[in-house]
Amino acid sequence: MAGLMYKCPRTRLPVGASALCVFVLCWLYIFPVYRLPDEKAIVQGVLMQQGKAWRRNQTAVTVFRKLLEDCCNPGQLFAMTRQNSPLRKNLWYDGEFLYSFSIDNATFSLFPQVSKHLVPLSLSSSLVDYIAHRSGCGKKIDHAEFVMRCNLPPLSAEYSKDVGSKTQLVTANPSIIEKRFQNLLWSRKAFVDSVKVYNHSYIYMPAFSMKTGTEPSLRVYYTLADVGASQTVLFANPNFLRDIGKFWKGKGIHAKRLSTGLFLVSAALGLCEEVTIYGFWPFSVDLHGRFISHHYYDNVLPDSGFHAMPEEFLQLWFLHKSGVLRMQLEQCEDPLSQPAA
Amino acid sequence: MGYSDPSSNRDLLGNRSLFFIFICAFAVVTLLQQILYGRNYLKRYFEFYEGRLEYNSTKCLELRQDILEVKVLSMVKQSELSDRWKSLQMCKWEMNVSAANHFKSTLSRCCNAPAFLFTTQKNTPLGSKLKYEVDTSGIFHINQEIFRMFPKEMPYYRSQFKKCAVVGNGGILKDSRCGQEIDNADFVFRCNLPPISEKYAVDVGVKTDIVTVNPSIITERFHKLEKWRKPFYNVLQVYENASVLLPAFYNTRNTDVSIRVKYVLDDFVSQQAVYFFHPQYLINVSRYWLNQGVRAKRISTGMILVTAALELCEEVHLFGLWAFPMNPSGMFITHHYYDDVKPRPGFHSMPLEIFNFLHLHSRGVLRVHTGTCNCC
Repeated sequence: MAGLMYKCPRTRLPVGASALCVFVLCWLYIFPVYRLPDEKAIVQGVLMQQGKAWRRNQTAVTVFRKLLEDCCNPGQLFAMTRQNSPLRKNLWYDGEFLYSFSIDNATFSLFPQVSKHLVPLSLSSSLVDYIAHRSGCGKKIDHAEFVMRCNLPPLSAEYSKDVGSKTQLVTANPSIIEKRFQNLLWSRKAFVDSVKVYNHSYIYMPAFSMKTGTEPSLRVYYTLADVGASQTVLFANPNFLRDIGKFWKGKGIHAKRLSTGLFLVSAALGLCEEVTIYGFWPFSVDLHGRFISHHYYDNVLPDSGFHAMPEEFLQLWFLHKSGVLRMQLEQCEDPLSQPAA
Repeated sequence: MGYSDPSSNRDLLGNRSLFFIFICAFAVVTLLQQILYGRNYLKRYFEFYEGRLEYNSTKCLELRQDILEVKVLSMVKQSELSDRWKSLQMCKWEMNVSAANHFKSTLSRCCNAPAFLFTTQKNTPLGSKLKYEVDTSGIFHINQEIFRMFPKEMPYYRSQFKKCAVVGNGGILKDSRCGQEIDNADFVFRCNLPPISEKYAVDVGVKTDIVTVNPSIITERFHKLEKWRKPFYNVLQVYENASVLLPAFYNTRNTDVSIRVKYVLDDFVSQQAVYFFHPQYLINVSRYWLNQGVRAKRISTGMILVTAALELCEEVHLFGLWAFPMNPSGMFITHHYYDDVKPRPGFHSMPLEIFNFLHLHSRGVLRVHTGTCNCC
């Protein structure tokens, strides 16, 4: 009897322990333990570099572009086109598990014919994420040939000194369409008016990342087509987004999803010769230790744990140091004294 | 070799001659029929063109009585009713003012279109609870958003218009050449976004003051307005300044779609007004007609419009409202003047509705047009 009592836990124990082990291993696989330098250390590191003039490193640019070409082919796959996504092709949503969709006739007709000349390989391009703040960089940004912006930022007069007014490509998340424009199910005038500031730009939508995002994204297309707006809607290719995600995951960014900014930087690096990025600063203090708001237009903090901003910043900072792209962190007081990016 | 029937090729009263005799008999009977009834037909035909009989002539009183005698539609065959209706065509129509006024006062007591036809800020205050027409849909809370869409008060008043036309979409309108007469009316109601392009304008006219839109059309043809909106806007623009009337509070499914119509017109900066039927008005009208024997899941839009028109106008003319597969002269007609898509069976009971209109016509309350118009 006593032997049996003794035996029972002994046989059970390894089962429970191994289950626990598997669980811990899974946990570690999903959320690996690694040390990220904290905010202050990063700011210190950035300050150390501050004095040095940034110089473009052509070989590094070529190497990095080759890497991107090999993994993701931004020139071809950047957006959905009739060429890279033929009718009835089956594609998987890149932001979800186990969901795929096939391109039907109605959706296919919304795609542009070719992507090759949609985004011309330009000499220089500026990328403005929405974290820029009181920088006075407006003129410098407008000087670039191709300006990309993230998530339908406001470009009203009060900001134009800091963020410029030129736009060639602006991304729009379906979640923004849902929150700010009620999914475009009711009145659409507010949306049409709000995108008028972007003039003849592309509106780049990750329509096929999440299942819930497809409808609002297509609706953006319908809305703009109905009123004959000057903007063109491009849909992000889920394969491209997935490849870029894998690429950066390989470089050590652990996040559920990359931020739009990093997607755009990758695309820009693949498409443009020179890339300057503005407003990529995910910390709550600036280089002089002053508190700054999260976005240049508001201070709504994002959901934690979705994007890994500091890691992305470190990667971009590394690219800055190696001369692949230029990251503008200080104020551009006098844009005339420095040659344009 | 084999045995063959010797009479096989003689066939005295065999198959062939028997068949021939049958055919002859049939032909004789048909001929006789033609002679007998044809004379009748010819007589009628000539009578018709002798000129229309005066409204108050004894013959016309009789003919009208013929129709009023039919108390229930199932009493007679549809062809019989059709025949009586056809004979009545030889009489001129005149409004019977006393009968019309009596009928209108009944309507004003039951339904009161000049105050309750549409939801207005006056009859549906902010924060009130609006009961859907379909009971199971429950109630709708009037919020600021919806309230702002309502007109201040009813845009029309009692007997505002001298002559109104309610234009249904029946196949009877095809080749009727009634366009001119419809356009001459002071106020024209149309149902369910009918096409009024040049091809049809001769028969149906172009003037439109109110056009109703069934949300099911929006759902089917325009994807609930969740996708493209311009095509829908283009269709509405054909009616120029006509107001758009929707049964938004019929059931919950209709509400969103109907509200979206208002947004579409606002977004495209259109001058057209959007009105919603007041559900209580619809309930009252259905109840009224149910008492008159119109048993159906729902009365048709045409009937609702006729009821409203009787209160808003002095004289009401009905065009294209005919529910039978044949026109009064016995020719088969299409279901609509623009297509021949049959409706869902068992939802509306059109024959009963038309039957009521024919009664009202005979009493001089309104006028039903079923023939060709030879005006001007």
